[in-house]
Amino acid sequence: MTRENETEHKAYVRPVPITWWLHNRRYFLFMIRESTSVFIALFVLVYLYQLFLVSRGAEVHDTFQESLRSVPFVVGYAIVLLFALYHSITWLGLVSKIQIVRIGRLTIPPFLVGLGAYLSWIVASAVVAFLFLTLTVG
Amino acid sequence: MYKEDRTEPFWWGMFSMGGVVAALLIPVHVFFIGLAVPLGLVDKSLLEYGRMKSLLANPLVKVYLFVLIVPPLFHAAHRIRFSLHEMGIRKLLLSLDVLCYGGALLGTAVSLYVLWVI
Repeated sequence: MTRENETEHKAYVRPVPITWWLHNRRYFLFMIRESTSVFIALFVLVYLYQLFLVSRGAEVHDTFQESLRSVPFVVGYAIVLLFALYHSITWLGLVSKIQIVRIGRLTIPPFLVGLGAYLSWIVASAVVAFLFLTLTVG
Repeated sequence: MYKEDRTEPFWWGMFSMGGVVAALLIPVHVFFIGLAVPLGLVDKSLLEYGRMKSLLANPLVKVYLFVLIVPPLFHAAHRIRFSLHEMGIRKLLLSLDVLCYGGALLGTAVSLYVLWVI
């Protein structure tokens, strides 16, 4: 028996293999870009752990700090840095495509907006580097 | 029928903020913490206990670390959620929303705890 209000249709979902992004360079780079976030999240979580160790005393903290000199950690951080740089380059590269900057009636050319984004990255990095190397507070 | 998700703008906003923080600040941190200090390119006392303890005594440093750590977690949660979805994974043991955004919220809570106790 059918009822009149049975009008719901089940949409057809085309089966897609899980490896679809491996068959095209652009899709592959898209997935690499997405995966950068995983490496960045891992980095901040390990850093959080490192900070937590400050509460456990000098010996525990400095022992972990010493272990960062081991080859697996150094290689791991080098890989994380590559992914982090890829994120920065792709993310800041999108700024000029997404953000329209207007000053009064003047629209800033996208090229300059992109340049500003990259410059802000350089400035932010320089400020962090300066503070990291010189800051002493109590 | 399409059901409006009123939380969506919040997750996209956090994703965006996390993306900006990660793009501007993470590489320099990875370089110093993971490579420059361990490889001896700069003085290793920069990350030693005494200096960290004195830096962390300043609330502004803690606020900065919160901004450095938390938004990238939401950024990752958002990207992981959509990447899994695009790979055809729609649900694991829990919904992707609960797993990914729940993970970021848990990370926020843990970050607050750590920054409170140190």
